[in-house]
Amino acid sequence: MKSRVRELREARGWSQAQLGERLEVSRQTVNAIETGKYDPSLPLAFRIAALFDTCIESIFFPEASE
Amino acid sequence: MCVTGRRATAVLAVVFGVPGVAGLLALVPGLDLQTSIVLCVGALLLAGMAATNRDPMGTDVAPPAVGRRYVRELVVTMTAYVLVLAASLWLLKRVDPPLLRALVALAPLLPIWLAVRAVLRYMRALDEMQQRIELESLGIATVVVSMLYMTGGLLQSAGLFQVPGEDAMIWVFPLISGVYGIARGVVARRYE
Repeated sequence: MKSRVRELREARGWSQAQLGERLEVSRQTVNAIETGKYDPSLPLAFRIAALFDTCIESIFFPEASE
Repeated sequence: MCVTGRRATAVLAVVFGVPGVAGLLALVPGLDLQTSIVLCVGALLLAGMAATNRDPMGTDVAPPAVGRRYVRELVVTMTAYVLVLAASLWLLKRVDPPLLRALVALAPLLPIWLAVRAVLRYMRALDEMQQRIELESLGIATVVVSMLYMTGGLLQSAGLFQVPGEDAMIWVFPLISGVYGIARGVVARRYE
């Protein structure tokens, strides 16, 4: 799945580790989500959306519709 | 206590290797060849992991406090295991009543169970992707070792070779642990 997580994280000047700390996941998991190698669960996706103060649909996009 | 997973793995390689080599050289009374070989193979695997893997105990992917506790518990329980195993083998040569023999023979299971508990606590503290990596690796280890034993069992039924049951049984846990460790490195790479 494609996502805007990297873009949103960089806009706030956070490192992957710092974002991981805020989401209570490892730096590796943040990296896998950003590179599209791991699709987060719905609860984690909601946590990401809440952290960036937006909705899930504006962060994650299905591969085909991108 | 602040130790990295890598250093702790090297320490465990020594904890396994010293009695293992001493057993191979028949320097430890009661330590039979089979057990010495298991200890030596374990030491070699641990040394290999410490030498080639940047994060052999997976402490890098866990919250720092969880990683530290995990490393501490693993070093303590696995060291206890080697000591209890040596004591158990020594006592087995001197104890006769069957019930007491059973207790002495099973004593090494206690530190192993404590180590397994440490692994389970560590896994529960991991995030969802890391738990998925653990699950996949454990699945691979189970399938690989089951298939290995089935292959051996079928060949043995056909009378092509003969492995004593006790030798086969003692290797199940070390094999699953070893394949699990290797599989984890391979599976984790898919998410990098």
